[in-house]
Amino acid sequence: MLDGRSIGVAVLKGALLIATLAATVGVAAAGEEAKYPDLRGQWIGILRSSAGIPGQASFDPGKPWGKGQQAPLTPEYQAILEANLKSQAEGGLGDWRGAACLGFGMPLIAYGFQPMEIIVTPETTYVLVNWVEHTRRIYTDGRDWPAEIEPTLTGYSIGRWIDASQAGRYDMLEVETRGPFKGPRHYDAAGLPLHHDNESVFKERFYLDKAEKNLLHDEITVIDHALTRPWTVTRDFRRNPNPRPNWGEFVCAEGNAYVTIGKETYFFSADGLLMPMKKGQTPPDLHYFK
Amino acid sequence: MFYRNSTCVFALAAALLVTVGSAQAADDARYPNLKGQWSVILTPGLGGQRVKFDPTKPWGRRQEAPLTAEYQKIHEDSMADQAKGGLGNYPTATCHPGGMPRMMSTGEYEYIVEPETTYILIGGEDHYRRIFTDGRPWPTDIEPTYAGYAIGKWLDEAGSGRFDVLEVETRGPFMGPRAYDATGLPLHFDNQSIFKERFYLDKTDPNILHDMITVIDHALTRPWTVDKTYRRNLNPRPKWREFYCIEGSVNVVIGKENYFLSADGLLMPAKQHQAPPDLRYFK
Repeated sequence: MLDGRSIGVAVLKGALLIATLAATVGVAAAGEEAKYPDLRGQWIGILRSSAGIPGQASFDPGKPWGKGQQAPLTPEYQAILEANLKSQAEGGLGDWRGAACLGFGMPLIAYGFQPMEIIVTPETTYVLVNWVEHTRRIYTDGRDWPAEIEPTLTGYSIGRWIDASQAGRYDMLEVETRGPFKGPRHYDAAGLPLHHDNESVFKERFYLDKAEKNLLHDEITVIDHALTRPWTVTRDFRRNPNPRPNWGEFVCAEGNAYVTIGKETYFFSADGLLMPMKKGQTPPDLHYFK
Repeated sequence: MFYRNSTCVFALAAALLVTVGSAQAADDARYPNLKGQWSVILTPGLGGQRVKFDPTKPWGRRQEAPLTAEYQKIHEDSMADQAKGGLGNYPTATCHPGGMPRMMSTGEYEYIVEPETTYILIGGEDHYRRIFTDGRPWPTDIEPTYAGYAIGKWLDEAGSGRFDVLEVETRGPFMGPRAYDATGLPLHFDNQSIFKERFYLDKTDPNILHDMITVIDHALTRPWTVDKTYRRNLNPRPKWREFYCIEGSVNVVIGKENYFLSADGLLMPAKQHQAPPDLRYFK
């Protein structure tokens, strides 16, 4: 009843079964590993979308900083921007706190001033900001908004992975970041302000470019009481092709040239002494030395 | 014959499937569970500040660091300067990073274990440690940092089929000066320290993490080893605080002198009879 051929067929069928089952397990495992987009590596923020845009980097990378951003500010906050610009023109800082190493907060920390790293785990996506602020934690574990959130400059972020193109794997991270924030916060060093109530809400969509996997987009919408309408821009980041990049250490205290004494901010000279920032600025009150 | 061969084939299929399945399960469970928020365990009742290298001894001189005579004097000078209101050998007072090994003695830690890298997220003046476990060699050109450059290797010491120890070596060149604690307990100013660490979960309590650190430093007469331990916060969704050193910092260095900022934000002397700062640029 059994001949060599039958045995051969049975062995072949068995081998096929093994291969099929093993392949199924392998695909499932590979699918698990490939569920998230590959965001590994070092991401460099593209701070200006074209060459020649004047001033320091700001929220909309396609426009100059300060008034050039054409932010949809309320008249009240337009006046605050004007006051900050006037103060800076006179050598002051306005209410810009970034120069004093006091942190920047959202949305400035999302620009990629320093090389960033993004670590995706099922429960949390970490953005290592490598700046005065260190880390954004974006919780993707399905948690609700906590009843009580401690004010921070970074905010509290909850995210959700989406298979937007229905390719069977996630391709977009939707994030909402809420306060209460600490403040004052600004979009740029010109002092373009967010509302002092620190109740901003940020909605972001992170996704890799469809044509260029080394280009990451972050579409950010700001909802803030200093704005007449939500303000949306898309910021981009380019991946360093070096798989083992150098990670520098950013130390704000090193080379910081500003010091605030009382209600005045002064410069440090090259020899470490105090010097005025503004014309006619009075020296610090030294009455504790009498 | 048929049945025997068929049985063999299907037994082989089953065995292979079990092998594949086990491999996947082992893959998931290959690394120890270091998730959560970890805080330094300190022996209670010790004097001084909480940041100390050996958590079982008081800070400063009573750490009994095996310092060379030269660095013993540097430490004494640092404490003498601080007694007069100076900063001594403690740059963290002006919000410079503490670096290694102080960065393993401070606040709350989070570990992210990925096959290629283990990350230690640190609040405070220090940011992160990246411990590369991708088998890379030491780079020939390392940029000086406070945290150093760390290469690690996962070990299965218990032979249980999963990793249970992370062995790490951290080299410079470091930025400096660095101190173990706020008394200015110094590391050598050549910034060539080497740190060898073994991270592992306690065998009897998985919510205790050990970091056995050995410091090899030219300011020491012999390698100095301590067992630092950390306790896991049982809240799976802990609060992560934001810390900005500058906020609340009271030290301002002007020229070569350190001054205090008073409660009203004005300059005041840090030392008895200290001269006010030179204001020549205001004339």
